[in-house]
Amino acid sequence: MIEFFQHAITGLMIGSLYALVAAGIVLVYKATHVVSLAHGQLVAFGALFFWLFLGGLGLPFWLSLVPAFVLTALLGLLIERLALRPLIGQPLFAAFLMTFAIFIALEGVFVLYLKGETRTLPAFLPEGNLDISGISIPINQLISFCVAVLLFAAVSLLFKYTKLGLGMRATAEDHRLAQSTGIIVKNIFSYIWILSAMVAAVAGIATANVMDIYYMLPYIGISGLIVAICGGLDSLLGALVVGLLLGFVENVGAAYLDPLVGGGVKDVAAYVVLLAVLLIRPYGLFGLVKIERI
Amino acid sequence: MRPCGVFDKSYGLDIAIIRTWQHWVILISALILLYTFPLFGSYYLVSFMNSLAITVIVVLGLQIVSGYCGQISFGQAAFMAIGAYTSAILTIKFGFSFWIALPLSGIMAGIVGIIGGAPSLRIKGMYLAMATIAIHFVVIWLILHMEITGSFKGLYPLPPSLGGFEFDTDERIFYIIMTVMVIMTYAARNLVRSKVGRAFVAIRDNDLAGEVMGVNLYYYKLLAFFVSCFYAGIAGSLWGHLITVVNTEQFTLMHALEYVGMLIIGGMGSIPGVFFGVLFIRILNELVMFSSPVLAKALPWLGSSPAAALGLIAFGLAVIVFLIFEPRGLAHRWEIFKASYRLYPFAH
Repeated sequence: MIEFFQHAITGLMIGSLYALVAAGIVLVYKATHVVSLAHGQLVAFGALFFWLFLGGLGLPFWLSLVPAFVLTALLGLLIERLALRPLIGQPLFAAFLMTFAIFIALEGVFVLYLKGETRTLPAFLPEGNLDISGISIPINQLISFCVAVLLFAAVSLLFKYTKLGLGMRATAEDHRLAQSTGIIVKNIFSYIWILSAMVAAVAGIATANVMDIYYMLPYIGISGLIVAICGGLDSLLGALVVGLLLGFVENVGAAYLDPLVGGGVKDVAAYVVLLAVLLIRPYGLFGLVKIERI
Repeated sequence: MRPCGVFDKSYGLDIAIIRTWQHWVILISALILLYTFPLFGSYYLVSFMNSLAITVIVVLGLQIVSGYCGQISFGQAAFMAIGAYTSAILTIKFGFSFWIALPLSGIMAGIVGIIGGAPSLRIKGMYLAMATIAIHFVVIWLILHMEITGSFKGLYPLPPSLGGFEFDTDERIFYIIMTVMVIMTYAARNLVRSKVGRAFVAIRDNDLAGEVMGVNLYYYKLLAFFVSCFYAGIAGSLWGHLITVVNTEQFTLMHALEYVGMLIIGGMGSIPGVFFGVLFIRILNELVMFSSPVLAKALPWLGSSPAAALGLIAFGLAVIVFLIFEPRGLAHRWEIFKASYRLYPFAH
């Protein structure tokens, strides 16, 4: 039983990372109805920028956090300005394909910078394990887990209670109607990409805390996308719940199924879950069901 | 391509693919040129053409399911892998000849494609694209975890042979690949202008409206996936026997993304567009290949071998530029050129 809880806790810690990555995707979708494949790159670049200042320049933790956030937000803004703004008014699917092209281009930049090497963040959170009746939890992962939950709460409150959040929800509903009530839709697009890039930076830093920065890091965006879709693309709660759930399933599944099928359950569990959810509930577990008319 | 003043005077002429005697001349001389190409082309050009033709077959399949039927698929590389592995297993482990294994691998990939296309009955657009990514990873995972596929080591199929003649060099297998490509192109060109093709287009433009008009959505969506994966399977089989080694490194998600990019650049919903897109990306790749050593020397911070990364950047930027400035792809430019040629020397 202790073993099971140990796997479960480890899974939940990893799951909070997935939830963080998915949060950025959900944010963009909630405000613009664009599904972003490129989000994994923002996560990876967030981690890379943070490494540049913490590991590369040797700045203290708080001082390297600020430029990392600013640079990632700038990258997000740049993507929105150069690539997605010209597509306003085009079919949403064009925007999806655009984010896919951005993913590839940024992947090239990422690979070009790393040159096949890995970068490891120096430890910046307290080390050690918290021991609760035999189950050990690494403290640094616990901190990033708490940060994830707090961030979710903050973003949900922003969407629900601020004027900016109201504007974003209105924009997602109908661009033209929102414009006619005095909301500047273009600005909303910029804000949401900046916000999403900052969430991505948090996700990147939290991810780089537990794994190296290497060429596969951007692909965590695909895991994030899976979580976002399974939870329902417009539901922050869904992203959190399904993110934690996916981490749980991956870890517990790997622990108990790997001996049966000969390993590698971790690599494929997410995709099987995605296929199952898409077949049973196409709009995700917490998503709004849309009725289509001709 | 018709000059000004040529009219179709019968129904047969109207539906013909090849309309004028000039077309016949161009077609036949192009075919003669194609089949004599290994005699005067360099080894590099011949192997380039081989991989080009195989990619054309894959992207033709993708064009049918995505460009015509509107179901975006990021799983094409996985279905190509299924074709390659099926053909390799049939020839190595069961002693089938290549000529039987080739169509069988297409059919095998098609059947798996029907299973893979099943989610399209409930979801579409971006959701379906994600489902096909999931299918890609599940298929690759299964290949890596099965005994018969040789797991990580992969398989080593032999070059095809016919009556003692071994197609064991790039110049020799060139004829097989080109013949298959020509047949597949002809089949695709005809499929999309038949009843089936019109049903596909109806589903793409508005699936609900199509269903109301009497298009059987389930049948035609699954048919589109079957045909598309059949193409991928054939291409995979050819690829395996050309390279004579099959492993999962050759069928990554990046390959599948590349095929979709070729489709966007070439133009969705056009058979010539496939050729434009594949040519454009492959030539772009070759240019990056040739220029990257020079760039690496001039800019030392790029590292010693920036070719792969620069290729990705160039490819991504090309797709971005096309999406912004020419979302209908090179095929649209070709249509404009054809229209102006037909009107020449008049303005309209």
